[in-house]
Formats: sequence, C-alpha cells, structure tokens
Amino acid sequence: MNTSARQSSGSAVETRLLLGDREHTKLVARKRRGAAFRMVTFIPVVLAVILILALLADVTLNSISWQVVEPRGSGQTFAWVEGFRGFGTWGRVVRLELAAQGLSAQEVEALFADSDELRKFRARNRVELMWSANGQPWRWVVANSRDRREEDYGLFTGLRNRSALLEGLEEGQNLYLNPWLDLSFFRKNASRTPIMAGLVSALFGTLWVIGLVILISLPVAVGTAIYLEEYAPDNTYTRFLEVNLRNLAGVPSIVYGILGLSVFVRLARIGPTVLAAALTLSLLILPVVVIAAREAIRAVPDSLRQASYGLGATRWQTVSRVVLPNAVNGIVTGMILAVARAIGETAPLLLIGAAAFVPRLPDGPLSTYTVIPIQIFSWISENDPEFQHVASAGIITLLGVLFLLYAFAFVVRRRFERHW
Amino acid sequence: MVRSQRELARTAGLGRRGNRGHRETAIGIVLLICASISILTTFAVILVLARETFGFFADPAVTVWEFLTAREWTPLFAESQRRFGISPLLLGTMLVTTIALVVGLPMGLGAAIFLSEFSSARVRRTAMPVLEVFAGIPTVVLGYFALLFVTPILQEIVPGLKFFNPLSAGLVMAFMILPTVSSISIDSMQAVPRALREAAYGLGATKFEVVTKVVVPAALSGIVASFILAMSRAIGETMIVTLAAGQRPTFTFDPRETIATMTSFIVQAATGDQPAGSLASRSLFAVGATLFAMTLALNIISQQVVRRFGERYE
Repeated sequence: MNTSARQSSGSAVETRLLLGDREHTKLVARKRRGAAFRMVTFIPVVLAVILILALLADVTLNSISWQVVEPRGSGQTFAWVEGFRGFGTWGRVVRLELAAQGLSAQEVEALFADSDELRKFRARNRVELMWSANGQPWRWVVANSRDRREEDYGLFTGLRNRSALLEGLEEGQNLYLNPWLDLSFFRKNASRTPIMAGLVSALFGTLWVIGLVILISLPVAVGTAIYLEEYAPDNTYTRFLEVNLRNLAGVPSIVYGILGLSVFVRLARIGPTVLAAALTLSLLILPVVVIAAREAIRAVPDSLRQASYGLGATRWQTVSRVVLPNAVNGIVTGMILAVARAIGETAPLLLIGAAAFVPRLPDGPLSTYTVIPIQIFSWISENDPEFQHVASAGIITLLGVLFLLYAFAFVVRRRFERHW
Repeated sequence: MVRSQRELARTAGLGRRGNRGHRETAIGIVLLICASISILTTFAVILVLARETFGFFADPAVTVWEFLTAREWTPLFAESQRRFGISPLLLGTMLVTTIALVVGLPMGLGAAIFLSEFSSARVRRTAMPVLEVFAGIPTVVLGYFALLFVTPILQEIVPGLKFFNPLSAGLVMAFMILPTVSSISIDSMQAVPRALREAAYGLGATKFEVVTKVVVPAALSGIVASFILAMSRAIGETMIVTLAAGQRPTFTFDPRETIATMTSFIVQAATGDQPAGSLASRSLFAVGATLFAMTLALNIISQQVVRRFGERYE
C-alpha cells in the first residue's frame, strides 16, 4: 500500500497497478464511505442555515397582514403625495382626516392648539401608510383604536383569496395590507389594542438599562481582568477567583434573576427599577467581559511591558499607558458582544419585575421600565392573535439592533486590529 | 548642586517615589475589590438560595420526602390542594433537554467535524459565524419561532401534539446548543497535532478513517466537555420552554403533552403576584436551588473532564 490512498483524485489507475483486485474494491468502498460521511457532516450546517432563513422569513411575513377594517373615522384614505410632509406628515394627515370627518378649519386648529386634547387624540389614533386593496395602493390612513378589525389574514392567504375578500366586503369596510413595522410603531407606547401598541417605552427602557450596564460592568470587568493578568499573586485566592469566574459564566441567566430579585429588588429596596435591572444584567455579563478583557490584555506582548518597566515606569503606569491602550480593541469588542447578549436577555428581567405595560418613558435610574425583549414576550403571550404581528415587528427591531451591534464589533475588530 | 539635582529629578517625575508607592498600593487594592465582586456574586447566589430553600423546607406543609418523591407540583394552588413533589418539573426539564441533546449533539459534532476537517478555510470562515448566529439570537425570539412556526408544522406531522409541547421546544433548543458544541469541539480537534494525522495517513488510512479513528478520539475530552456544557445550557434555558413547552407540571414521558420545566415554573411563580416570604414564593427558590446545583455540577464535571482526560501534546 502506498500514499495514493491519501490523494483521492486521479489515482485510481495508479492504484490498480499496485493493488490486487480485492484490495482495490475495498479501497473504493472505504473512500465511498468517507465521501458519504462527509456529506452527512455537511447536513447540520445546511440545516442551520435553512432554519435561520426560515426564522427570518417567518418573522418578516408575520409582520405584514391583510385586514378587513370597518373604520370609525371618516373611512377616507389619502394619497401619498397629499399626506407626506416630512416631519409634518402626522399633522397633515390628521388635518385631512378631521376635515373629511366634517370638522371646520377652526375646530381642527382648536384641537391642535389644545395640548391635552391632542395627546388624547394621539393615544387613540395612529397615522399609517397602508396598501389599500381597492385600486389605490399606498394610502395614508388614520387608524382609530375603536376601528373594528373584522378579519386578519397572512400575506399569502390574503393574496390568494384577494378577490373573494374584496367581494365579501360590506358597506363601509375596507381591505388593507397593513405593515405593522412602520414609523408609528416607534412612536407609540404600550397599549391593550394591537394597532395602538408601539415600542417607544421599551426602546428607551433598553437604552437606560444598557447605558447603566456599560457604566457598571465595564470598570469592574476591566479592573478584574487587570488584577488577574497583571497584579494577582499566584495563590489559592487567585486560583479560586479564576475557577469561580469560569463557573459563573455557566450559571443560567434565570438564577441571576433570582439573585437580583432577592438582593437588589427586595433586600436593597431598589424595587423593580432600571437600576435593579442594570445591576442584575451587569453581574450576568461580568464573566463574559472579564474573559474577553483578559484575552485582550494577555495578547499584549511582554516586550512592551518590559520596555515600560525599563524606562522606570511603575506597574500602574505600565498598565494604564502601555497595556490598556494596546488592549482596548479587544476589550471594546468583548464589551459590545456582551451588551448584545444583555439586550436580548429576557428571563432575569421577568423575575425582577420589568413590567410589560409601561405607558410612560423611564426618566431616571429609579423609574419603572420595560425593555424590548420583555415587550416581545408579553405580546407573544397576549390572547389576541393580532398581537403576533406586533411581536414580529418587535422581533425585527430587536434583531436589527443586534445585527448593528455585531457589525460594529466586527468593524472595530477589523479596523483596529494589531499584529505583533 | 544637590538642590538643582533634586529639582531635575522632580520634574522628571522620579522624586516622588514614596508617593508613587502609596498610589500603587491603593490601585492594587481597588483592583482586588473589583475582582472580588465576582466571588461576592457567587456567595450571594448561594446564600439567597440556601436561606429561602431552608425556609421552604422548614414550613410544616412541606417535607423533604414529599419534595423528592411526590408526583404532583402545585404550590401555586389553594392551600388544601398544594403538593410539593419536584419530579414533574425535573421530568419536564429532562424531556426537553433529552430531545435537544439527541438532536443537537450529533448535529453539533457533525458540523464541527465538517468545518474542522473537511471544509476549506474559506468555507469555515463563512460558516462559523452563521452557526454562531444561533448563539446570538435572543432566546425569546427562538421561543416565538418554536411556538408559532415549528409547532404548527409539527402538528401536521405528529398526531395529538398539544399547542404547548416539549417537542418543538426541544428541537429549537437543539439549534441553540449547536454552536456551543461545535465551537468547543472544533477548537479541540484543531488542537490535535498534525503529526498524529500524518502518521495515520502514512499507514494508508483514508481521510474518513483519520477523522473517525484518530482525530475524534484524540479530541474526545474536549468533545465530551462541550456535550456536558451544552446539557447545562439546555437545562438552564428559560424563554424557549416558557413560551413553547407550557406551564403545566405534568408527570409524563410523552413529548406531545403540555409540561412545565424548572425554569418555566420559576418564571410562572415570579410573574404571578406571590408575596415575598410566602410558601409559593419560597418554592421558586427551592426550584432555583435545584437548578443551580444541577448546572453547577455539570459545569464542574465538564471542567474536570478537560483537566483529567485532556491529552496534552507538547
């Protein structure tokens, strides 16, 4: 037997010359088995890709639906050019709608002048760009919370039965294609009515929580990493620290929720607030950031440190002026990835009382809050199937935010990478 | 002359040696405190869980024997109907975890073998991030996917499948643990030295034989460790099971029934309004302690496997 067993291509004839018939058939069978095995190991990769595509397609399709609406307002729709005024679109479309309802110009302006009335109006109405099925695509609609939404169909079901649906429309009803993820989705607060539900309080909640998480966990994690890499003596305590960190990284996130519930919410009496959430999530991502920061610090070559010491620098001077500036790239990347994890974390926040229904924006570390994943969770758990569309819109937003973060981490790593 | 020398030293920042020493010590202490926060976290977790769990078992309504043997778990019910047997929750967790592992481990190992041994470096560079995507998708999204996409499809195939079931939760979880298994396995297979492979090729082995008879056995400790870690992650996973597997503790081995796991019970108990210190609230901590003990044990075992059985090639 020779090395030709290793090179599979084009060696068949050569092999023939060297092997007897029986050995040759055996060799072919062995190679065939190898090729089959290769195919088998390729399957999971393909499956994973298919599943991701299915997930994305499902979420996207679910964020659009055909709806038969019986409007409580004027029932009129307005052409795109008629309604679009940049940032003034909302006011413009509302004015058109009110005029169509038969209000005089003075009455309309009176409503716009009265901030209280205007806020109430805002809470009950939503300006949307919908695909109207009766021959006039992309029209502005003022959706009202008291509109009767008779039926709700998926994108393809609606397309297939479009003519039947149009024929079945009763007097005063309209068939719309409603994209749930639109601009007004980012301007609306939580609501019991699917069409009025939006993400704004959750967006601000996530911003507050994540901002605090970065403020809390970054210094602690970098401090821990510096201690372990540059300062720690080789003793039992240090070894315990390392083992402990590794084990903490494997603790399920919900256990951190239990910790946050009894220590921060109850014992420290912080209550179900932004601060409690930020502290809990900081502890949760701490091991991950520490591990990333340690790797970044370890990657700084020793020659740099020795050069610094040789110039008479103290340990801290070396760390702060030589090691950290050269490790900042890895630390930042690790921090971004950890933040991405914290943004999607749901279970611990459910435990420490992130409320799903928060009708106002958080205004400080001690205010109640909700975050994007909690909002998504509560929408999925709602009975009204229309909330599934809202949940899909929320999921697309969440995945979009995470994608931006990962892309940012990728760019940071590429752009500022150093080779020694 | 002496004076000017001292001045020179001061401007060069060398004269304040004593001062610098104090600062160095202070910084060292601050850093030590930072590092100790993680230890405090561990102690806090253990203390909190232990205190409330002792409170749970100290209650006359609960006995350790009942906790371990009874087949009903209904601590949120009215007082006369409460039962405290954790086995339905354990069974539910085991059901979901088993499905996830049976599907996820071979797939993860297969993907790892393909990416480490069969694919070109370019394919590996593009395929690895795709697998990692599953680790980055928030689990609430995966739960949504399991509940609203996978379950309806499975209901067409599997007769008698409930709307909330461990089957779809387990299948989606299999993909969640896939990157855990494959990235650790790839690392340990890449660590197998070239000389071993070359020796096997030299003996006339085909690529398939080298992979299955040399590389995988040599990397076995890392692969086993990744399996155990994946198991620990599956046991602790919360949102997928809460959304897709249901919240009704049932003592059953049937993957079509609605069940509850330890984690989904914790969510259920915490989102209801259980007053702090009540038995219902304490049952949450007892379940949490069980969960923590199980995952901690698995993590330690996985580290031990690497340390004890890991082959070192120097």
